[in-house]
Amino acid sequence: MRKAVSRIRLQRLTRRFGSVTAVDAVSLDVADGEFLVLLGPSGCGKSTLLRMIAGLLAPTEGRVLLGDADITDVPPRRRDLAMVFQSYALYPHLSVARNIGFPLRARGWSRAAIREKVAEVAAALDLTELLDRRPRELSGGQRQRVALGRALVRDPGAFLMDEPLSNLDAALRAGTRAEISALHKRLGATVVYVTHDQVEAMTMATRIALLDKGRLEQVGTPAEVYDEPASVFVARFLGSPAMNLIDATVAATAAGLAARAREVELPLGIDAETPERPVVLGVRPEHLAIAGQGAEGGIRAVVEAVENLGSEEVAHCRAGEARVSVRGPRPLGLRDGDRVRLTARPEHLHLFDADSGRRLAWRPAPVTTPA
Amino acid sequence: MDETAPVGERGGIARRAGGHIMLGLLGLLCVFPIYWLYATSLRAPQDVYELSVLPWPLSLDSYADAMAKNDVAGMLLNTAIVAVLSALGQLLIGLLAAYAFAAWRFPLQRPLYLLFVGTWLVPFQATMLPNYALLGQLGLLETLAGVIIPTLCSTLGVLLLREHLMSFPKELLDAARMDGRSAWGILWTVVVPTLRPVLAALGILLAITAWNEYFWPAMVLQRSNAVIQLGLRSFMGTEGNDWGPLMATAGLACLPVFALYLFLQRHIVNAFVRSGLK
Repeated sequence: MRKAVSRIRLQRLTRRFGSVTAVDAVSLDVADGEFLVLLGPSGCGKSTLLRMIAGLLAPTEGRVLLGDADITDVPPRRRDLAMVFQSYALYPHLSVARNIGFPLRARGWSRAAIREKVAEVAAALDLTELLDRRPRELSGGQRQRVALGRALVRDPGAFLMDEPLSNLDAALRAGTRAEISALHKRLGATVVYVTHDQVEAMTMATRIALLDKGRLEQVGTPAEVYDEPASVFVARFLGSPAMNLIDATVAATAAGLAARAREVELPLGIDAETPERPVVLGVRPEHLAIAGQGAEGGIRAVVEAVENLGSEEVAHCRAGEARVSVRGPRPLGLRDGDRVRLTARPEHLHLFDADSGRRLAWRPAPVTTPA
Repeated sequence: MDETAPVGERGGIARRAGGHIMLGLLGLLCVFPIYWLYATSLRAPQDVYELSVLPWPLSLDSYADAMAKNDVAGMLLNTAIVAVLSALGQLLIGLLAAYAFAAWRFPLQRPLYLLFVGTWLVPFQATMLPNYALLGQLGLLETLAGVIIPTLCSTLGVLLLREHLMSFPKELLDAARMDGRSAWGILWTVVVPTLRPVLAALGILLAITAWNEYFWPAMVLQRSNAVIQLGLRSFMGTEGNDWGPLMATAGLACLPVFALYLFLQRHIVNAFVRSGLK
């Protein structure tokens, strides 16, 4: 039985370690039942943020709210939050059954009630046969399920997960990813999940919060952050290979606005005029198409290497000073040293401010009528 | 041939045999005084000055003599009480201090720890007189409590347990906090059960040290021979030593220590090896 209120709100949450700001004024609203993934590279502050939500680390500034209650100064044991750790943190001296029942014993449940609840959770996670084993006698996947069971057994307000799949091998990770997603759907529980793995984030999240150097770069659904990255950082972090980013200039041409760089001229599909300005032009490798001979514009590139990914191929090319990757179904029909012309549809082009790295959007100037 | 030795490190048979012989000789050198102690205690009273390697004929007269002249059983019991209480006290205080130093952050933590460690450098001789005077004021001279209380804080115990706790997975402590345990609850439900082998080894080491202690009990218990190490001196006199009962009592005093080592040596060695390897 799930509890009703498990909305988590962070208000300008900040954590400094000496002169280093690990988390910088992060505000987030995690709705009830949401699966929010905190995504970012190592050292971006995502685990620090999760530990502040858990109460394991006191924030330097800011507030944490669970439902309507301010829990900023509430100790972890009274927060009604369960956490799954990267190392699983199973108690080595206790059996699986006692590990799962540990939070209930701490809350003074009767032995009979604990036994019943542990059996229920163990059955749900396929752990019934393993209840008498010690953690050292379990495989990585089994340990991960026990850690999950220990979190589930409490029926907590929300789940916090700190890279719980990073110690599993690739095959097990894919399976467990699906299991956690299914569990989330079944329970409808609020989950805050930390990872640096974009595949986990894209496949599991209802929303992704991308962090860089302690700052929140973008919050949105997986489709939003992938299709409309808010900054160069987000564009570069999501996608494999990463989005092609080329230092370019937006200028007016006879066919409307275009992004230009050495060996690059891509029309933006905007019939307007604007003063020239430097930008960072972004285009995803799968959105580049190989144009036929004699086509005008596009990116003139030389193929430097072709990678075979099985069902797809990635061609790494050079266009002027920029490196450009093209991804498509195998075979792409390209070989090392080929000269190609690459094009992309205007709606697949992304522009970022050259100084701030933030996304640029075209907004026509408002029409003013003289008084 | 050692199949697991790294390439180029497989010594010749002669070299390895030489090493074994050297180690064997060193071992004999260590064991011989203990053997001589038991050999002497088992000689007939008129033979105690014999130099034959094997004590023959065997005799338990020295043991009977020792029992008749001293309450050896009472002394062994008192020594056991001192050793057990002293070890338990040091373990408890060491555990609490090490937990605070390793698992918590508080103002002046580092200087306090260094100060604590620094007390190890203060020789026993520098503190024995103030301790003695304090015991006198508290009326604890000539009591077992007077022997035990000043030894209750062991820097060695704190250092060793802190090292183990520093390498203790922090996520386990965090998990227990999330699971609803207080700091006190975490200590007893997670830390102590996980550190049980280390605590057992340290406890044995502290108990053996307390068992073998002579100087401090000799100061506190000047008018009695309440513990076994002091009982030994009753066989030593200005007119000569009563070697038979002396060796018999010393032999009895060693037995509990040997028994502990025999049964628990693997745990003791493991704990100390692990404390140096994170």
